[in-house]
Amino acid sequence: MNAEVLIDSIISGLLLGLVYGLAAIGLNLIWGVMKVINLSHGAFIALGMFSIWILYTSFGIFPYIGIIMILGLGLVLGIITYFGALHRVIDAPELSTLLATFSVSLIIIGFGTFIFKTNPKALDFSLGGIEAGSIVILGTKVATGVISIIFTVLLYAFLYKTRPGKAIRAVSMNRTAAELMGINSSLILALSFGIGIALAMVAGALIATIFPFTILSGGGYELKSFVICVLGGLGSPIGALVGGITLGLIESVVTLGIQTSFVPVLEFALLVAILVLKPSGLLGGK
Amino acid sequence: MNSLEVRDLESGYGEVKVLWGLNLDVRKGQLTTILGSNGSGKTTFLRTVMGIINPWNGNIKFNGEDVTKLSTHQKAEKGIIMVPEGRLVFPEMSVYENLEMGAYTKRGREKFDDSLEFVVSLFPRLKERFNQKAGTLSGGEQQMLAIARGLMSRPDLFILDEPSLGLAPKLVIEVFETINKLREQGLTMLLVEQNVHLSLAITDYVYVLSEGRIKMEGKGEELAESDEIRKAYLGV
Ligand SMILES: Nc1ncnc2c1ncn2[C@@H]1O[C@H](COP(=O)(O)OP(=O)(O)OP(=O)(O)O)[C@@H](O)[C@H]1O
Ligand SMILES: [Mg+2]
Repeated sequence: MNAEVLIDSIISGLLLGLVYGLAAIGLNLIWGVMKVINLSHGAFIALGMFSIWILYTSFGIFPYIGIIMILGLGLVLGIITYFGALHRVIDAPELSTLLATFSVSLIIIGFGTFIFKTNPKALDFSLGGIEAGSIVILGTKVATGVISIIFTVLLYAFLYKTRPGKAIRAVSMNRTAAELMGINSSLILALSFGIGIALAMVAGALIATIFPFTILSGGGYELKSFVICVLGGLGSPIGALVGGITLGLIESVVTLGIQTSFVPVLEFALLVAILVLKPSGLLGGK
Repeated sequence: MNSLEVRDLESGYGEVKVLWGLNLDVRKGQLTTILGSNGSGKTTFLRTVMGIINPWNGNIKFNGEDVTKLSTHQKAEKGIIMVPEGRLVFPEMSVYENLEMGAYTKRGREKFDDSLEFVVSLFPRLKERFNQKAGTLSGGEQQMLAIARGLMSRPDLFILDEPSLGLAPKLVIEVFETINKLREQGLTMLLVEQNVHLSLAITDYVYVLSEGRIKMEGKGEELAESDEIRKAYLGV
């Protein structure tokens, strides 16, 4: 293994890690505000992949414009899903919300398989590459990393600077107190779920600009999101981004030595190891 | 003129009935106090009035309008604001952000600057801590913040659930002085307290709650003289 290959993997891992982080932020937000483990996370990531694929191949929409549309679509789908599947069970024990989101996942994957079959698709799209010596970094990877950072910063600004963003934080800290202040917490929960789903779909769309995918691809990325949430500790968007980068780096450097098919094994091992050794997350303070 | 009118109110948790048909009025511009021992249902009553738990029976009128079925945030928007038991400030938000959340309602937002000036004049110590996270405040400071946050929404009816609970004696007095100040300014208040001495001294009208029923009611000074109250609460 020479130095250039290593540098290449590190840069690649870093950029991919950012989009993994973005996906994890979606999962993290839903957990943080609603205390719901969203088992439809992966299905929505896959839906994001197919959305951008349809927008690009059928309508010729430039992918990075498509991503803005997918953000809006995700928000709407998330809010509909909240009122359709979650609203009535939100105060029930966790098992009910787990089952509800799992059902949503089955519905999406079921329809997706019916419509798209399970053969791989890829976005026939390129931004060229950036060359440095013998290292070539794909333009789509750079764009993905940069856009992931932008979305994270925007989310942060939304949560800390705007009225609905602050209401989301208030509801996440104490739903009853928030209601007593006049905050319609059901709407806020719906909005949070919408944002979480929108981020998952955008992350899926960004990943689709780099890797081929099928309707079943979401599952693998869902697992990564769980590992990242555990790595970064549940709570802050920044923690999720750092967790994402960490996972991206581990993945791309380790696969220099082992087969790619071992990656999920590694991720599961990491998940279990962290849960056993430091349940609050490696970076999580509390 | 009544601010709040509660009739035959029943509620509870699951299968367990806690309130057995309560009748209670809060007159405009007055301080009304509910006394009662631990577990008598005071918090349950306030939670039912606020719609945090649903009434099983009976009705609640606010300014003559039936609000029995409204949800909590709708009641807040109408001007019924409660400072809950245990304060429930937003711990990961700064003191200033907590005050901003207090002014979330339309009426609160419109008068934000005035209200801020007012609560800072009531609790000057909060100003020094505007940027501190509310969760790191002392218990007393958190209680001040909870009251200030409530006032930021410009309440028409201000409900306080045991604001002096767990505070050092000096702070208890401070809380009661604040309540008295608000009363003198004409704010309509409903107070739940265990501190019988101090509450009776400033209260216009008192209800005594026992096992989910109103056991006694009357003007503050009258009940202070009553033998039953003296025996049950004042230990004399
Ligand atoms: N969430 C709950 N679930 C079930 N029962 C409850 C719940 N909260 C209170 N209770 C019960 O309802 C009764 C009344 O409780 P409540 O909290 O209203 O009393 P309280 O008068 O406010 O007492 P305190 O002075 O201790 O605050 C008690 O018997 C209590 O055990
Ligand atoms: Mg109580």
